[in-house]
Amino acid sequence: MTTTEIARATVGAPEPGVPTLAPRRAAAWRRRERRIGLAAAAPAFLIVVGFMIYPVLFALYISFNRTDGEDFSWVWLSNYVNILADPLVHQVFVNNLKFLISVPLVVFFSVIVSVLLFEKIRGWRFFRFVYFLPNVLSIVVVGVMFKGIFGYNGAVNSAIVALGGQPITFFTDGNLAIWVIITALVWSGFGYQSLLILSGLSSIDSSVFEAAALDGAGWWRRLFSITLPNIRRELGFVFIINVLYTFTSLFGFIFVMTAGGPGYDTTTIDYLVYLKAFGSENLGPGAALAVLLFLFIGVLTLVQNRVFRIQDED
Amino acid sequence: MTSATLSKPARIPVFIGLAILAASILFPVFFLVIAAFRTRIDYLRNPLGWPSTWTFENLVSVWNAYGAGSAFLHSLFVVSIALVLVLVFATLAGYSLAKLNPYGAKIITGSFVSVMLVPSQVLILPIYLMLSALGLIGNYASIILLYVATSLPFAVFFLTLSFRAIGDEVLDAAKVDGAGFFRTLFRVAVPMAMPSLATLAVLQFLGMWNELLYALILLPDDTKRLLTPALSMIGTKLQNDQPLVSAGLLIAASVPLLLLAFTSRYVVEGISIGSSK
Repeated sequence: MTTTEIARATVGAPEPGVPTLAPRRAAAWRRRERRIGLAAAAPAFLIVVGFMIYPVLFALYISFNRTDGEDFSWVWLSNYVNILADPLVHQVFVNNLKFLISVPLVVFFSVIVSVLLFEKIRGWRFFRFVYFLPNVLSIVVVGVMFKGIFGYNGAVNSAIVALGGQPITFFTDGNLAIWVIITALVWSGFGYQSLLILSGLSSIDSSVFEAAALDGAGWWRRLFSITLPNIRRELGFVFIINVLYTFTSLFGFIFVMTAGGPGYDTTTIDYLVYLKAFGSENLGPGAALAVLLFLFIGVLTLVQNRVFRIQDED
Repeated sequence: MTSATLSKPARIPVFIGLAILAASILFPVFFLVIAAFRTRIDYLRNPLGWPSTWTFENLVSVWNAYGAGSAFLHSLFVVSIALVLVLVFATLAGYSLAKLNPYGAKIITGSFVSVMLVPSQVLILPIYLMLSALGLIGNYASIILLYVATSLPFAVFFLTLSFRAIGDEVLDAAKVDGAGFFRTLFRVAVPMAMPSLATLAVLQFLGMWNELLYALILLPDDTKRLLTPALSMIGTKLQNDQPLVSAGLLIAASVPLLLLAFTSRYVVEGISIGSSK
């Protein structure tokens, strides 16, 4: 602010900026600024074009070819046909659908936690810190940790044994293993999401609550007719990113906890893309699967944006 | 304020519920830290119990003999360089898009926004082929480049919003004073955007430090491994020696946990602010 005042004093103009310059010089000056701007944005733009946009197009190209990475022969849609007819892909897709159970769980926990933290319960800042804590840890750390906790000699089994039960081998049964991974997912995910919802709650006009309280609306009534409708944008967002997570971000958990096994019982689409990309002679089907995943994510985002009317409100 | 709408008696069970939930977060972390300091025999005797002896043996051996130490240093090296590059490029681009209305601004912004949703699975195959054609697989330059590229879209978006919040009159005043582009940016705009830059730096650091997939495929040599792939190997190879694995986890988690401890209010609130924009 002081710079502004000094500038005003020295230039003597009522408005800061360039109006003291002649219009033509101002235009030239603005063109110069736009050129400098282009030069400043260029490095970031070129890196993103070279290492994100070009690779996406390249992936698209690979998906229409039969290739080992060096020789390419155009095969039209046969990789896609191949992928869509592959029973393994069907099985893996069903696995992904099982992982979707984590979405309502994460949304449920994060809504409850954020609504209660918003009440400024004693120690809420500490709770917020603790709930957020798993978020700074790598998926690798969380995954290996849960693998240990649910391992044969882990904490859970020693608790079961202490209570008189038989130890459970969680990772030899696909469905049990999926539950362990979902637990890890919810454990590490809900804190961040409740922060997102909390920021939505803070932006609700408090006079609405006051008016409702004056009208005699109880806590539950206020929750369902004021609080939740007012954060539907955040709820929609949290819902979307969790669905996307289950299709794109399980790789780390699967890689360190089960390696997709037993068999392919815990393999997810993102893990299968990795397996196909680095474990097969023809790279085309892997690329086709990745492109399909990308399309699926795009469509999902569009549909959910419609459903939650996120764009209308912004 | 009116946010305190729960009645007094209702607050006690709610507090207890939240405390139990907090305990369920803290207990596994606590269990991990304790396990890292016990001997294997002591752990197997009673995993849930209190250790009878304390030892630094696990930390020392996982750091030296199992490669966690060198992996830690490799990660620190790669992430530091990538972080500096991201911050520099994103500051330049973010300031430009926010204030300078550069030629092609729509195309530039559009391309950043359009790649933000791209999952890494789509990129791994073409990136691997491109970098191996360039002979960069197994070279730290490849992973640094990739971390910079994949971090930039969000970083630029985030900083564009921050720079936009700075009033034009301040910047114009600096220009009228005769400050050129770099002077205006680094003497006026950057200091004003410091809180956002710090938040961004912490978030990006965590993202890169914790990344697994690219680190796994771009640095296949055992001698060059970053921390997350090294740790996943340790977790598989030594799964019957939980104290040793825990020591490795502790080494990997130490940096993010320290970072969170020192910058928590910053990060936690930064995330809330960043997301509401």
